[in-house]
Amino acid sequence: MKTEGCRDWRHLLGAYALGDLSAEERAGLEAHLEGCPECRAEAKSLDTVARLLPLADPDRFSRPAPQPSSDLGKEIAATIGRERRVVQRRRRWRFGLALSGAAAAAAVVLAIVVLPSAGGAPEQHVDFGRLPDGIKIYATLEPHAYGTEIHMYVKGVRSGTLCHVYLRGPRGERVAAGTFTYRWGDDSTAVLSSALDLSRTRAIGVRAGNRTFVATVDAAGATARAISNQEDFT
Amino acid sequence: MQSGALTRERDVREAYAAHSGELYGFALRSLGDSGLAEEAVQETFVRAWRAGERFDPEIGSLRTWLFAILRNVVIDLGRARAARPGVAEGGIEPSVEPLEQALLSWQVEEAMRRLGEDHRRVLVETQFRGRPYAEVAAELGVPEGTVKSRVYYGLRALRVVLEEMGYED
Repeated sequence: MKTEGCRDWRHLLGAYALGDLSAEERAGLEAHLEGCPECRAEAKSLDTVARLLPLADPDRFSRPAPQPSSDLGKEIAATIGRERRVVQRRRRWRFGLALSGAAAAAAVVLAIVVLPSAGGAPEQHVDFGRLPDGIKIYATLEPHAYGTEIHMYVKGVRSGTLCHVYLRGPRGERVAAGTFTYRWGDDSTAVLSSALDLSRTRAIGVRAGNRTFVATVDAAGATARAISNQEDFT
Repeated sequence: MQSGALTRERDVREAYAAHSGELYGFALRSLGDSGLAEEAVQETFVRAWRAGERFDPEIGSLRTWLFAILRNVVIDLGRARAARPGVAEGGIEPSVEPLEQALLSWQVEEAMRRLGEDHRRVLVETQFRGRPYAEVAAELGVPEGTVKSRVYYGLRALRVVLEEMGYED
């Protein structure tokens, strides 16, 4: 039971938990604790905290809490925004493929489905068809003032494979779009860019290790079109 | 925030505003490199967003969930760094404690930061600098009983902060 005496003893409980009381003070307090379950419970809970205290390093907590750079939040928002857009595109693109599934299956080649993007700019969803077993490659091409943004999803090649991506223009010229490394289990999409305008892009290629996969791109077309995938030796 | 999900970008922004400082503090404590720590925080929020549907506030708080993700990210980054020695050279010494111990130490340090100045001061002087209560009392110009009292209330405050931070005995 809490008594008037508690008030006199309670303020010693901290030093008691930390083992800092004189023998006399300790004896007096322990006699009180004997008959006071509330103070005993309080002493027990402080004992836990007292045992944790030495884990702290005063050099660390004396300094202000470190903060990440002010741009980190924006970077995270941008990363998530990009990923969300790619997921939405992939869903729309899969939906588009499902609609044209019968025709695509008959052709057993590659389909390109062009769907209008949210902003009205035509973006192209490219499927590298007829790939070796287990390999999947999808790409989405998005027009920009600087050229073409490429979102590329690869699955099934050896983990650690370096992939070079490029676009081909109307005269067969190759314009690099960058590189990425495929990692097993990574389900994300590589975001690349090339200076070649999407309207001038005729093909997209990805060299994964010693193999190259190419899909032609019909930049002007707004309807599904079947095209072939081939090895590119040029 | 929408109940039961962390699926909208706005949810992530709110979660970042509320928890990024703490997550970064722990990541830095464990990894010892500010660049790696930021990478860990970024990866934590991206993973949280990808798995947003699975977040259930009835099972645990958002903070607890984010720390659980960060813990895994730190383990992954720690492994990657072990394979690439020398990344943290010149930075703050990375923690060599096991991760659970590092988390506990970081929690106590963070809790100490949040104490009022009076309480933190007496705990630092008597516990970390090992000074007698009477000496601290004289320096502060207060009776020794007041120092003991502050130690008591300081420990209580520390307990409350640790509980707020999710520490369970």
